[in-house]
Amino acid sequence: MKEEIAKIKENSMKEINNCKDEKQLNDLKVKYLGKKGELTAVLRGMGNLTPEERPAIGSFVNQVRDELENLIQKKEKEFKRKELEKKLETENIDITEPSKKVQLGSLHPITQIIDEVEEIFLGMGYEIADGPEVEKAIYNFDKLNTPPDHPARDLQDTFYITEDIVLRSQTSPVQARVMENQKPPIKIICPGTVYRSDSVDATHSPVFHQIEGLVVDKNIAMTDLKGTLEMFAKKCLGENTKIRFRPHHFPFTEPSAEADVSCFVCGGKGCKVCKGEGWIELLGCGMVHPNVLKNCGIDPEEYSGFAFGFGVERIAMAKFGIDDMRLLFENDVRFLKQF
Amino acid sequence: MKASIEWLKEYSDIDVDSVTLGDILTMTGSKVETVDQLGNDIKNVIVGKILEIKKHPDADKLVVTKVDVGNEKLQIVTGANNIKVGDIVPIAKDGSELPGGVKIKTGKLRGIDSCGMMCSIGELNLTLADYPEQIEHGIMILDKKLEKDLGKDITEVLNLKEDIIDFEITSNRPDCLSIEGLGRETAVSLNKPFKNPRKNIDELQVEDKEELEGLKVDIVAPDLCYRYIARMVKNVKIAPSPEWMARRLKACGIRSINNIVDITNYVMLEMGQPMHAFDINSIEGKHITVRRAKNGEKITTLDEQERELDENNLVIADDKKAVAIAGVMGGFNSEIEEDTKTVVFESAVFNGGSVRKTAKKVGLRTESSSRFEKGLSAENALRAANRAVELVELLGAGEAVDGKIDVYPTKQKINKIKLDVSKINSLLGTNLSKQEMIDILQKLDIKVENDIAIVPYFRMDLEFVADIAEEIGRFYGYDKLDSTLVKADTTLGIRNKEQTIQKKVKEVLVNSGFSEIYTYGFVSEKDLELSNIKEEIKKYAITIQNPLSDEYKLMRPTTVPSMMQTLAINANKKNQNVKLFDLSRSYKNVKQEVQKGEVPLQEEMLTVGMYGENVDFYTLKGIIENVLEAIHVNHYEIEKETQNTSYHPGRCANIKVGKDIIATLRRSSSRSFRQLYDFQKSLFSGNEYHKACKICKSK
Repeated sequence: MKEEIAKIKENSMKEINNCKDEKQLNDLKVKYLGKKGELTAVLRGMGNLTPEERPAIGSFVNQVRDELENLIQKKEKEFKRKELEKKLETENIDITEPSKKVQLGSLHPITQIIDEVEEIFLGMGYEIADGPEVEKAIYNFDKLNTPPDHPARDLQDTFYITEDIVLRSQTSPVQARVMENQKPPIKIICPGTVYRSDSVDATHSPVFHQIEGLVVDKNIAMTDLKGTLEMFAKKCLGENTKIRFRPHHFPFTEPSAEADVSCFVCGGKGCKVCKGEGWIELLGCGMVHPNVLKNCGIDPEEYSGFAFGFGVERIAMAKFGIDDMRLLFENDVRFLKQF
Repeated sequence: MKASIEWLKEYSDIDVDSVTLGDILTMTGSKVETVDQLGNDIKNVIVGKILEIKKHPDADKLVVTKVDVGNEKLQIVTGANNIKVGDIVPIAKDGSELPGGVKIKTGKLRGIDSCGMMCSIGELNLTLADYPEQIEHGIMILDKKLEKDLGKDITEVLNLKEDIIDFEITSNRPDCLSIEGLGRETAVSLNKPFKNPRKNIDELQVEDKEELEGLKVDIVAPDLCYRYIARMVKNVKIAPSPEWMARRLKACGIRSINNIVDITNYVMLEMGQPMHAFDINSIEGKHITVRRAKNGEKITTLDEQERELDENNLVIADDKKAVAIAGVMGGFNSEIEEDTKTVVFESAVFNGGSVRKTAKKVGLRTESSSRFEKGLSAENALRAANRAVELVELLGAGEAVDGKIDVYPTKQKINKIKLDVSKINSLLGTNLSKQEMIDILQKLDIKVENDIAIVPYFRMDLEFVADIAEEIGRFYGYDKLDSTLVKADTTLGIRNKEQTIQKKVKEVLVNSGFSEIYTYGFVSEKDLELSNIKEEIKKYAITIQNPLSDEYKLMRPTTVPSMMQTLAINANKKNQNVKLFDLSRSYKNVKQEVQKGEVPLQEEMLTVGMYGENVDFYTLKGIIENVLEAIHVNHYEIEKETQNTSYHPGRCANIKVGKDIIATLRRSSSRSFRQLYDFQKSLFSGNEYHKACKICKSK
């Protein structure tokens, strides 16, 4: 009987090893291990054995069955793997074909600059303030030390709605409104739309944007203004940016300065953008004029402050390499999506 | 304001080159626009004498000349036909350079060696206006006297080298619209003494008189004329000005006319005080009155244009007529003529605002008016009058009449400012001693007595401690100021709720494929009409008094027309599938605020617009729902809008929160609009963003 079992083992192993697919394997499983299978038949014949023979033969049969089952399992895994490989091969795709991404829109270049500047000043503890664009002349001019016969009030520079109502020609009226309504310390920036009576060309627009900054507190000095703007210039235009102050004149500040930054295109060596000078005029600034403080209800003996303001379009154009201001307001979607 | 270095040197030693000087003055506040170095582009052009002229063997139109240039004789071939033997001409030798970067080298012309070139005035960048005896096409023929200068550099011989700096002068510094003022700035900037060449004028005493040779002066509008000085010269000989004077005028951009007119301009440039000269014979009644013009009064100015005036304009008049528009331009009727014998010099100071308005009204902004409008010193006026008379005598152009008429109703106030050392240091962030401050101020002619800074007459801009601080800052050096950061209590730098919402809304839209647009707040009547918005809203539009054009006449009461135009622009450019949004303001004069001198309603509106494939009502609805979701407005209803005839009645809806409509979704159906802009499908939504914002904020 032992030889019979060994023969079954030998035959079945050979057949299983040679089998070609899963179906054949299943048939073999039935053939040897099924209820009517050859090995099962052998087990049935165990009754004919002597009690002495039974344990040895029994354990031998079990051993053979385990071996067969293991082999079948191994074979099954092999077939499954092969099948998967085959399937995967048919599912192969070209990963270089175009994607199906969601098309993103874009923020306007002016918004991008304003956002960037806002982040820098928010980080320095400034709030963002806002005010009317159709504004009282008194806020746009009078309170800012620009009396009625000042040239800046000419019809050729400012849009008038009535004698008393204008389209603000600067964001400075926001300063005046904030100073009237808030006690120092004041630290604000006010980005916004402003209007001047300039015809449209490559470098002029009757509508443009400014960002104005104002700090009022005790002991605010011009050195603070310089340090603040230096910090701003480095964050906005690059760590190597240098700043220089030139004396200038504005009605609402005294002392006043114009601030130039080292050209962020050529680094100060001189190029087309800075017209060979190495410096780019960035903004006007100064210490808030005592008359302005007084006009807005702040005692110039107790408090001092600084203010600065610059045009957003100029920076956007220089930073993004835009050579015609009109493009910013034409809103051709192909242009907008470049930024 | 242009200034030649040569003239500035009368006031200060200048030991740096012009470009460096420009840089230094820019940093002390006199911003330099340009530095012109005339004649610097002419190199190695010398004086030569033509010794012989022979025909060129191979060319009919060329001649071969021999030229004596002092130490050698050169053979030069030329095509010019205005030369003859013995002529003195400019010679560009081998290796020379001409304006425009032209380099001249020895070469062959039709086989004959030519060792240089004879120059025309054009080639030397000179003009017929300056050398009227020359011809345009031909060689420049120099004065025979220059025979002694053979071989010498032409720029030296003709005095062609001149450095001119053009300054941008700020409106608070009319004193720097003069060489004297700029000379003072130069001296202080270079730390040199200010050489005052007009000391004699400053010390001169001229007797006051009621009448000068029968001439009388009255000011009947003292609110507009602060001082009027008349001085007189007789036995005048009108002639051209000497070369030095014409040259200085030219450097400052003024054409030389004759000695008397040139003197008025020269004094203006030198001292910053505009002058006027009348022929006494044109003053009827020998009586000058400074008065307001009559409404509709006419005057023909020196440029032979007739101008109409009104009672806001000031004139200088005789007993019958206006002879000048005060501070702007003289009258044609009192012009200095060839036969003028007696001249009245006017040196007056007028109200700046009045001159500015008058100049604007008559459309004449002159060298004179642009100075007066900034407010001039009445004290300086006397110096100018005396200087003009001095120049007449210096030029031998006439004889001074003793005495002056000086009507001076409003004496110039001399400002006195406390020298508050600690305030100045705290404003500038410096730590300067009182003495350091006094040292700077004294250089600027600001005397300090008992801690009071006494401002000189020519610095009317200095009124407050802050002004003194600026002067000290300028000459201490803005570049020497430290960079510090504000030392104060910590403040919170955060966006408020509204600003945060705005950021979120933009983010959602950009992530959904929409591009942000920036549009003008203007709208034309036509476009407002085309946009078919409700009549009541159209009425809220605000009219600009002085618009640039009809296109920009109104302030838009809604941003919808701006979006429609932008969609149209993109459609015209054949852009496919366009998705845009606009978050900006509308301006509504709802309750006649503007007429009451109040600020009108200005609300933020979000407008979303799109056209293209796969875009329908539900796309729009989806994006608006996304926006509302992002700002946590979750409870809203959508209702069909059928009342608004502007849009497709079957495809228009309102989004409502309670009773408030916070958004309107619509498809454009306006036929006229579509025809005009020629595109078929567009959708947009005008959203009452501010209302949504309010709801969001209240949560």
